[in-house]
Amino acid sequence: MEIFEVLSPAGSEIIKRKSIAPRLDNFDGKTVGEVWNGVYKGNDSFPALREQLKQRYPGLKVIPYTEFPFRYGGDTLTQQKEFARHIAALAKEKGCDALISGNGA
Amino acid sequence: MEAEKLGIPSVVIATTGFVTAAQLAAKSSGIENLRVAEYPGAIAIHAPGRIAENIATVLLDRVIQGLTQSTPASMADAPGSGKDRGKIVFAGTLEEVNRFFADQEWTDGLPVIPPTLEKTERFLEYTLRAADDELAVLAPGNLRATLPNVAANAIMAGCEPRHMPLLIAAVEALSEESYNLNNMGSTSGLLPYLLVNGPIIKQLGIECGGQLISKGPNPALGRAIGLIVRNIAGYRPGKNYMGTFGYPLIFALAENEGQTPWQPFHVEHGFDASSSTVTLGVTNNWGHAPAPSSAPDKNGAQITLEVLCRELSKRVRLYNLPGHGENAERAMITLLLSPPVANSLAGSGYSKQAVKEYLYENARMPRRDFEWARRYTGGTRVASSEEHRDINAGGHTQKPDDLIRLLSSPEIVHVIVCGDPNRNRVMVFEGGHARPATKEIKFPPNWDELAAT
Repeated sequence: MEIFEVLSPAGSEIIKRKSIAPRLDNFDGKTVGEVWNGVYKGNDSFPALREQLKQRYPGLKVIPYTEFPFRYGGDTLTQQKEFARHIAALAKEKGCDALISGNGA
Repeated sequence: MEAEKLGIPSVVIATTGFVTAAQLAAKSSGIENLRVAEYPGAIAIHAPGRIAENIATVLLDRVIQGLTQSTPASMADAPGSGKDRGKIVFAGTLEEVNRFFADQEWTDGLPVIPPTLEKTERFLEYTLRAADDELAVLAPGNLRATLPNVAANAIMAGCEPRHMPLLIAAVEALSEESYNLNNMGSTSGLLPYLLVNGPIIKQLGIECGGQLISKGPNPALGRAIGLIVRNIAGYRPGKNYMGTFGYPLIFALAENEGQTPWQPFHVEHGFDASSSTVTLGVTNNWGHAPAPSSAPDKNGAQITLEVLCRELSKRVRLYNLPGHGENAERAMITLLLSPPVANSLAGSGYSKQAVKEYLYENARMPRRDFEWARRYTGGTRVASSEEHRDINAGGHTQKPDDLIRLLSSPEIVHVIVCGDPNRNRVMVFEGGHARPATKEIKFPPNWDELAAT
């Protein structure tokens, strides 16, 4: 029976990765920003989540998604990255200690 | 992900089934261990009360964990492998190679031809590019395309060595910023397609006439692009290639340049007529899959039924083959409903038969539109009023704005629950000249034993 020695059809990785930023120790006096992509009912889910977070952590400040720009659709990869960098810079400017983004589906 | 790079901890909310897609996107963008908080179920079809409940009971804790704990419970595998490029990764019989490739998720579910070193070298003779050239980097995996891995996919698909120049150009097209391959994972089921222009059509015998996607080298060329999208771009069904009802094989077209009354596609786009080109297009080719949601004024079930009625009004078979009488030709409608949609309907009290009857009663269009379609698109040159006497029994109308029923009977509608259990989408198939035929499968006595081998 013929034996085949075969190559891999997979693409090779070029990205060097870094780990995520350090997490929060607690939510006392912290500011969390909401970033919505404009779809999948973030207008229902973010207010509900915000209310729950504030109930559990009364000292927490939440900057609602309405304070950040959002868009969804057929942007190119470069446009998406530029927009994400803009959002991240804006979060820093607004004093966000953390971000919640969504909704992916 | 950009926030993480700036040192701002973040958590991404994704619905069930899309956590891996989010993690793979992060990996491809250079972030390891992205924290994802999973919302349970298909949020788009959930009413506000259910969303609030899911947040209070499930999502809230996951969001908090995502912002305070750095070690995720599980992590998606990287879709590609850079370590094995140009090396023998496996040796075995045809069946063993196919099993190994299937285990690596390198196949499209069909048998592949083993990409041996010898075959690959033959494919590389058909290009001036150097074997270690980087042809492109393909999103979403951000993986490098090289001659050996493009050739390996071409071999697997059944291509010939002389197809390499075309496939290299196709890979370059896939990497174009404007093509936006990064966005092709949509649950609506976007599919690339291939269009070939120029003298290469005749040189390679690429079909541009009748049944073109099913003849000549066209199927193998399309399949090769599908494998490249999987193995080099890094799209994997169910992980980051999320079409609710899946994907057919990618198809390849060639323009019939001898018979078009206009400029061929490539000339229209600035190329010389004597040049050969390949174009990557995109289609929801076996049907767009609308996503019925819930809204403040209507629940998910009602919106689903209305979406289905609107979809039916676009199905030309219903104008062409209305059917009357027991033995008449008739259309066959098949509805694919993903589980969240079916459960939404059932939860509102609709049986399968009730869904069919709702559509029978409510799938309608103005008589003026129906008459137009019948007269100019159906190939049937008879007035519809007589034919539709039966269909509209008890509701026969003549005025142009009167709504005419589209379905000859609830029984021509067939409902199948399938597709992504976490996504609210439907698809409507139309067909004609046939009615469903179902036969029971008969098994030998030792079937369970045979099936397990």
